[in-house]
Amino acid sequence: MNKMHSGRIAQTFIYVGKLFRMFIFRNDWKVLPMAAIIAALVSYVISGTVFKTMEGTLQGTFALSCICIWNGFFNSIQVICRERPIIKREHRSGLHMSSYIAAHMIYQVFLCLCQTIIVIAVLKVTDVAVPTVSYVTGSATIDFGITLFLSTYAADMLALFVSALVRNTTMAMTIMPFLMIFQLIFSGGFFSLQGEALALTNFTISKWSLSALCAEGEYNSLPNGVVLSALNSMNTENVSMPENIETDDAEQYMFMIDNMREMMKDEETRNSFMLKCGEMSRNDQFESSAENIIDCWISISLYVILFSVLSVISLEFIDRDKR
Amino acid sequence: MIEILTIITSLFSMIGMWKVFKKFGKKGWLSLIPLVNGYKLGECVRRERDGFFMLLFTVIIRGLTVISAFVDIESIQYDILLITQFIFTIPMWVLSVRIYIGLVEAFGRKKRWAILFFFFDWFMLMLFGFSKKFMPLDDYVGDKHSDAELSNISLLGDGSGLSVNLNKRTTVNFFKKLTLLRDIHLTIPTGHMVLLLGGSGAGKTTFLNAVTGYEKADAEIKIGKLDVYKEYSRMKYDIGFVPQGDLMRDNDTVYRTIADAASLRLTTDMKPAEKRKRVEEVLDIFGLLPLKSSLVSKLSGGQRKRLSIAMEYISFPTLFILDEPDSGLDGVVARNLFEKLREIADTGKIVIVITHTPDRVIDLFDDVIVLAKDAERTGRLAYYGPVDEVYDFFGKESMENILLAINQKDEGGEGRAEEFVSKYVSRLKAAGGEA
Repeated sequence: MNKMHSGRIAQTFIYVGKLFRMFIFRNDWKVLPMAAIIAALVSYVISGTVFKTMEGTLQGTFALSCICIWNGFFNSIQVICRERPIIKREHRSGLHMSSYIAAHMIYQVFLCLCQTIIVIAVLKVTDVAVPTVSYVTGSATIDFGITLFLSTYAADMLALFVSALVRNTTMAMTIMPFLMIFQLIFSGGFFSLQGEALALTNFTISKWSLSALCAEGEYNSLPNGVVLSALNSMNTENVSMPENIETDDAEQYMFMIDNMREMMKDEETRNSFMLKCGEMSRNDQFESSAENIIDCWISISLYVILFSVLSVISLEFIDRDKR
Repeated sequence: MIEILTIITSLFSMIGMWKVFKKFGKKGWLSLIPLVNGYKLGECVRRERDGFFMLLFTVIIRGLTVISAFVDIESIQYDILLITQFIFTIPMWVLSVRIYIGLVEAFGRKKRWAILFFFFDWFMLMLFGFSKKFMPLDDYVGDKHSDAELSNISLLGDGSGLSVNLNKRTTVNFFKKLTLLRDIHLTIPTGHMVLLLGGSGAGKTTFLNAVTGYEKADAEIKIGKLDVYKEYSRMKYDIGFVPQGDLMRDNDTVYRTIADAASLRLTTDMKPAEKRKRVEEVLDIFGLLPLKSSLVSKLSGGQRKRLSIAMEYISFPTLFILDEPDSGLDGVVARNLFEKLREIADTGKIVIVITHTPDRVIDLFDDVIVLAKDAERTGRLAYYGPVDEVYDFFGKESMENILLAINQKDEGGEGRAEEFVSKYVSRLKAAGGEA
């Protein structure tokens, strides 16, 4: 009679247990204080402007997305490749790769959740503004937390896939900066991209993370202070006009700038000017609606599924590793 | 002008390569096929992998060149194509240097000759091709053939031990079929502890992987009456394979390491209490019980080896295979470990061990399997039989001297592998296929 051995579900729990023991004994917990330190550094930079002005929100949410991707990458970039020979041995003894990856997925949920809670706590402690209106769950903090969690988790799964694909930690750590740069450059919000480059943004976690965070922070309803800042920084005494502008015209321009700056000293006028500027620079990608936010979450979740499936497929070829 | 020079130097390269190929015993006309000739040159100097990637990168670069002809020279696409070509050109140069180094080594020259090849390949190929002063080393020339043939015999044991009838184990390496092992037929009775001896690259691990069913070969492997290949999903739990390194998680405890191995390898019909009892029993057998709460990282070399063996022994396998279990252990600890393995064999198991220091524990073994590379560099059976007969067969007094006798000359050995393979085949034929 063919006797049964532990199946996929049982094996998953064996490895979940193993991973939690590693959390304690192998000092994997270190990623948690690291998340707090990074969040504190970022909050120091973004505290004054995020979720208050359009430009501040864009910079701030970009920085928050970066925290998530950084945390996710560091959680799992080395976890598989550093024990690859061990996995190969265990595969020989009947380990199912789907169970192994499923165990990692469960364990990484715990890590990413802890990191998300830590990041939100640090933001609150350092008085960084967070979204106040909920579009999906009824709690703005939970909406915000879900986006941060999913972004961290998707980055985590991408790094897990790389870790499953490569054969050693050196290779993994060589690839990681490239992935990070790709995520940052092609986030689609921060750097202005055109044509095919813009289409590439759809393949990044950062694009969907940034979009969801901006949507939750009501980006399109915020004032835009870019024009006002430019106006304030102009020193009309030293402005040199282009040669093709007549002297009379130049004087006219100087007069207009000075006049506008004088007007902007009135707070009410200034605020309505900034709101008008914001109204004119709305971005559909950041539309504050439940549909848009859920679309972003689904897109990020699809990456989670894709990378976990790819991780299993990569590990199925582990027997081909050369001795 | 540059184009004409390129064509002329390419022609010289091809002509020089033709003669070089001939010196290696290959078909000269292959040098006339662009792209393929680089791969073939790599093959001549045993750098097939480098040759393959050079071929691949060349195809990519040429492909990109063709595509760029249809792209606007001012466009970003053209710039991307140009950068991509450059990116692939860098490894191309590195690979060509590797192949040139392989070539000068094959001709028994110093590596610095490769510098001249890099800059004046056409001239150097002509020189190496036409000059009689430049001849490849014997080891690189021609397709050698082993005379010792032993095909399609089938040995059957008494139906209780391990019977191995391996006709061939092949692999394809960059389009080239390589025979790693050939004609290995033997039966090992239960209760025997067998030493697997062989020089580096003789195919010991390949043989063991084929026997365990981990890497399938053209073979019939049976444990008792059960076919390992046909019933692999069931049989893999009845075969314990202890790999060379201590492949365990350092930050787990000894008890959990064994307990998790038990959860993977023991059947689900076993009650948790029975599994716990089995874990304790195995920890006790291998002297690890007092260390059960210790982290693996805190164990000594000998303790780690015992833990690694215990992980496989947990399922009480019929066939127990160990790849260099004594590496890094001193004589006393190693002896202790082998005595433990002897005890396991005495319980009616088959234990096969690879070790590079067999003489200190040879009295514990029943039989010896000697694998050696024949003239075709294929792993062959040079001897299988009792320990006390092996010395007479090889005319040597120790296992280490036997190893020296079968090792290739370039490995510091006597290069007599082919002789002993033939002698063993003759002996087997004379005995009518009885091993």
